[in-house]
Amino acid sequence: MSALSTHVLEEIRALPPQFPDIRTAVMPALDLAQEELGYLTPEAMSEVAHALDLDPGYVEGVATFYTLFHTEPVGKHVLYMCTNISCKLRGADELLEHAMQQAGLKEQGTVSADGLFTVEAVECLGACEYAPMMRLDHAYHYDLTTERIDALIAERRSSPRSGEVAPKAPEGSAPTPRKRATKKKADA
Amino acid sequence: MPELRGTTKGPVLTRWFGTENLHTLDVYEGLGGYAAMRKALTTMTHEQLIDEVKASGLRGRGGADFSTGIKWSLMPKESAVPMHLVVNADESEPGSAKDRYLMENSPHMLLEGIGIAAFAIRSHQAWIYIRGEYDVPFRRLTDAIGEMRGKGYLGDKPFGADWPLDIRIFRGHGAYICGEEGALLESLEGKRAQPRAWKPPYPAQKGVWGRPTTVNNVETISTVPWIIENGAAAYAKFGTEKAKGTRMFTVSGHVQRPGNYEMEIGKTYRDLIEGLAGGALPGRKIKAWWPGGSSAPVMPGDLLDTTTDLDGIKDVANLKGHPIPPLNIGGRTFATMGGSGGVIVMDDRFCAVKAAHRLLQFYAHESCGKCTPCRVGGNWAVRAYEHILSGEGGQEDINILDRVQAGLQGGRCLCGLGDAAGWVIASSLTHFHKEYEEHALHNFCSAEKAAAVA
Ligand SMILES: Cc1cc2nc3c(=O)[nH]c(=O)nc-3n(C[C@H](O)[C@H](O)[C@H](O)COP(=O)(O)O)c2cc1C
Ligand code: SF4
Ligand code: FES
Repeated sequence: MSALSTHVLEEIRALPPQFPDIRTAVMPALDLAQEELGYLTPEAMSEVAHALDLDPGYVEGVATFYTLFHTEPVGKHVLYMCTNISCKLRGADELLEHAMQQAGLKEQGTVSADGLFTVEAVECLGACEYAPMMRLDHAYHYDLTTERIDALIAERRSSPRSGEVAPKAPEGSAPTPRKRATKKKADA
Repeated sequence: MPELRGTTKGPVLTRWFGTENLHTLDVYEGLGGYAAMRKALTTMTHEQLIDEVKASGLRGRGGADFSTGIKWSLMPKESAVPMHLVVNADESEPGSAKDRYLMENSPHMLLEGIGIAAFAIRSHQAWIYIRGEYDVPFRRLTDAIGEMRGKGYLGDKPFGADWPLDIRIFRGHGAYICGEEGALLESLEGKRAQPRAWKPPYPAQKGVWGRPTTVNNVETISTVPWIIENGAAAYAKFGTEKAKGTRMFTVSGHVQRPGNYEMEIGKTYRDLIEGLAGGALPGRKIKAWWPGGSSAPVMPGDLLDTTTDLDGIKDVANLKGHPIPPLNIGGRTFATMGGSGGVIVMDDRFCAVKAAHRLLQFYAHESCGKCTPCRVGGNWAVRAYEHILSGEGGQEDINILDRVQAGLQGGRCLCGLGDAAGWVIASSLTHFHKEYEEHALHNFCSAEKAAAVA
């Protein structure tokens, strides 16, 4: 039994010809794997390596460098809350605390008991004119308030399958993963 | 889409913003879009295009202000291997959102610019490296590329010209360092994003996949269609002697109207912050502002009359009545810089030490770890800030910060991230020294007190 399904492995094997160099296919391939499993297990990473005929250590090195790849499980909905300067100046820290509480979380990066939520403090998301803001289910949410956060969480509690589906990517560049981690130290 | 915050109907980049469905090819072309690309591919030579962009005085908007025309002219005229244009759409500099604003509202403007630029540098395939979190811009660009292909504006004979063209998108996966051009190319090659030690060969000789490559920012390339349509001379009418044109600014933080504004270069930050963004919140006073993303040294609130001229802003004469921070760029002292155009405004109710602490957390977290001063210094500074803010700090912590900033600057690091971290500390420590002493020596925060009284 492999971790990744046959069709995902087929999709991954079809990636390299679309790029000038096989290694450029690594991230799109990891996207597909993460899309299927929610996060990247060691087995999944080694299957990606095998499918692309690359060294497993190399693939893992890439997966652990980038913050949008997860190597631990995450909730069905990840609240990526910007806490960088523009958002902080407009109250992001208090909102982060509030979101954790509402989602039933004590620690960033962990999964709520119902499996629905993970909350992550992230760096500037490039929408500072709408601060404080966050990214949730492939959409940016702007001018956040505690009420707005409550509403977004409540909506997801009442219909747990409401997570927006990732759009299909054009040739080669695979869709962003459905779930991502963010606060990971890039080990050098 | 949410309410649009920023300039609509501006002079150059935002001239058509606010038009319904500007992101579709029909609307964009109906307004006059793609006339420039048609003109470039059917009536101009590679050299003519490069000369025109050189003559316009356009300088890169990614933060380094380098002449775009000169950069293009460094590409070889002949090459046995393919050559590439790579558009830097990684926009992760804290306080910067203008590339997102441009891509979301007018994806075809960027794509038309790419068509022209790729042809100018003799490339048949351009890549857009876009940060992974940008969902809407990614979708808009993907759809827009589809529309271009449908019309034949990409493919074997765009506008009937014998110059096959293709545009591809590559999504980033988090990490600020991917915006640095060497790291970006490593990432596009499928590797961990660590800056390259640039020495010859430069990217124009050996860039991505070992091929001649030009890297340009989204705003830089988005400006190109206007220049080709209206001519270099018309563009050079805007701006100052050595910094031509208009540019995008993102204004965020403690202002009445945060947004992405297009303004002529050479006007002042007062024109931008008070004029366009509405100035301070009612009853508050601007204490500090960062002119170009968090990496541009912070400025005191009473210096809003500083010019936006890309060179003039660096002059330490701008710091009238203030001490000059120990800032070093290429061996020279400077006051601050225009950087990415991300203007962050902070008022008198926010603590300058806390702001600097947050920024150092960012630089420490985003260090790729390749150079020791950056990897170690960032974390060291964060610990000193924590100590100061916990109320248990002392003069020794201030001294540590001073040592760390000196160690980060002056070519000790491989890329600009290390310098930037040093600048954040040096500028904050100089301009807001009083607040550092309050915290470190007296366990007192005057900003918090001001906020509590209000
Ligand atoms: C740490 C670091 C981060 C950077 N991030 C970006 C970025 O997000 N976008 C960008 O266009 N340039 C960024 N740059 C500048 C690029 O290295 C490069 O100079 C630029 O993309 C060139 O384009 P231009 O000539 O059109 O400005 C960054 C530089 C450094 C040192
Ligand atoms: S300065 Fe920092 S981010 Fe840049 S290469 Fe060195 S360690 Fe990496
Ligand atoms: S600081 Fe929050 S989006 Fe830029």
